[in-house]
Amino acid sequence: MEASLPISPALSRAPSRPAAAPQLTAASAASVKLPLAFMVSGLAAMLFACVWLVVRPDLLATYHYNQYVIAAAHLFVLGWLCSVVMGAMYQLVPVALETKVHSQTLARVQFACHLVGFIGMVWMFDRWNMKQVGHFGSLMFLGVCLFVYNLARTLLRVPRWTVTASGVTASLTWLLLTVTAGLCLATAKCSYEAADSVSSVTWLGALLHGLRSLGSLMTHFDAISAMHAHAHLGVLGFFTILIVGVSYKLVPMFTLSEVQCRRRAGLSLFLLNLGVAGAFTSILLRSQWKLGFTLLIIVALALYGWELTAILRARKRRILDWGVKMFLTAVCLLGVESVLALVLSWPRLPLNGFTGQLENLYGFLGLLGVVSLAVIGMLYKIIPFLVWFGTYSAKVGLAQVPSLAELYSARLQKAGFWLYLGGLAATSGGILAAHELLVRFGVLLLCFSLAILVLNIGFMLRHFFRPQLKPLPARAVTVPNPI
Amino acid sequence: MNAPEITQQLVLEALRRVLDPELGCNIVDLGLIYSVEINGPDIGVLMTLTTPGCPMHESISDGARNALLSLEGVRSASVEVVWDPPWHPSMMTERGREMTGVA
Repeated sequence: MEASLPISPALSRAPSRPAAAPQLTAASAASVKLPLAFMVSGLAAMLFACVWLVVRPDLLATYHYNQYVIAAAHLFVLGWLCSVVMGAMYQLVPVALETKVHSQTLARVQFACHLVGFIGMVWMFDRWNMKQVGHFGSLMFLGVCLFVYNLARTLLRVPRWTVTASGVTASLTWLLLTVTAGLCLATAKCSYEAADSVSSVTWLGALLHGLRSLGSLMTHFDAISAMHAHAHLGVLGFFTILIVGVSYKLVPMFTLSEVQCRRRAGLSLFLLNLGVAGAFTSILLRSQWKLGFTLLIIVALALYGWELTAILRARKRRILDWGVKMFLTAVCLLGVESVLALVLSWPRLPLNGFTGQLENLYGFLGLLGVVSLAVIGMLYKIIPFLVWFGTYSAKVGLAQVPSLAELYSARLQKAGFWLYLGGLAATSGGILAAHELLVRFGVLLLCFSLAILVLNIGFMLRHFFRPQLKPLPARAVTVPNPI
Repeated sequence: MNAPEITQQLVLEALRRVLDPELGCNIVDLGLIYSVEINGPDIGVLMTLTTPGCPMHESISDGARNALLSLEGVRSASVEVVWDPPWHPSMMTERGREMTGVA
């Protein structure tokens, strides 16, 4: 008699005992729902932010700091990028470092703090109520502390310390410093009249007097320079170092390759950290050393590019999927960013309108080019995995389950990628030319691209409600066996 | 009716129904199965994964065990995942290479 595997009896049979060598997997990461909640919030914020730019293209087409520019920047950074990256880190860090998340409860509390914190901050920036920005920012800070603590405890369980673990540790440190710096900036914009009527002996009085002193200290720094230093700390220190560190694990994993020179990988991260510390200090103090630290960061990124190229050359998987292609495009944009950084760090750069537009372009390409494209590329790897894991993991071997690539449309993904690149190019042109219509057109393309991403994510999430299980074939095709 | 004799061929056919969802190829043609031990109704499989820390570890090893337990006449199935020797694409079958586009 042939061995036949009818789906119904097979599905009802429970495994007799656990696998012989249990390892840490997605089950050890945060629950599937939590990373997805972060990601869905992030996507909603990104769509809202892009629609905002369609309505107000002048925010990019003209150079001046106002409350709306700052609100929009925080919506992109905290609402979109931080939400998605934090959700992804709860999922990826345990997987990439072969450990498990310390506390899911803390992660849920952090999500609540993050959501209320960023929405409140953006709203209050828009209304330029800095006292309330400070209050919502404190909630955000609490959330970040919980996030960093949770992941730090997770990192303590790492069985083997790798360059990726170093990258994640460094990025978490920079994140904490970035949010701290942001709160310090907010204190400088507030007045503390109430401090006069409260004794500094009480805890409230001590807090108010302390904040007033901090605010007074912050006024010694140039406000724009302090803001630039804060922004660089976040984008370079948190996002870029995280991208570099995590990619040393994920790119080899997705392309079936391995890190080719651990010393080069480690050196790139070390120099990048050194560069971030130097850049922050030199920008804050308006020092001429800014150019030197920019060059140091460029050297670090060049080393990263060299190692990444070596990893890709040694890959066993010839065909790169579009998620990886998007990520690599984001890495290539780091080159454009480096050129812009070099120009903007030049000591005798004339401060005219065009320089202002270059600064806008630098910020736009950093956030929506490098970091966002890398994040979107990784979303196409992470969300299918989360959905697949939640829906099909327990059915493997009992029924025919789809592969990750079958959860969404690769054609739509490709169309979305080209639309996104078109949007980046058009918006960049519009920024350089200070042309509002071109900026609006470019951001509209970005919106269409994001709509495609949302549609594809809808296709993925549909599997939660309508699993595509098929009965196993009665007998597999007979082919020579490898053992 | 007697259960069919459990052979290595039968075991590997069952394991071919377990897919690595990232690569879209079954674990036998990927070369992940190192050995199969059949002791009457008890089956032991030694296997690996394409990379340590593979996020699909649990799904794939549990899936392999489910597939084995689905075979008629199987009483127990153990699946042990090892990292030594590490997996290499040279372990794949020709069919596996075609399915994954691996060099």
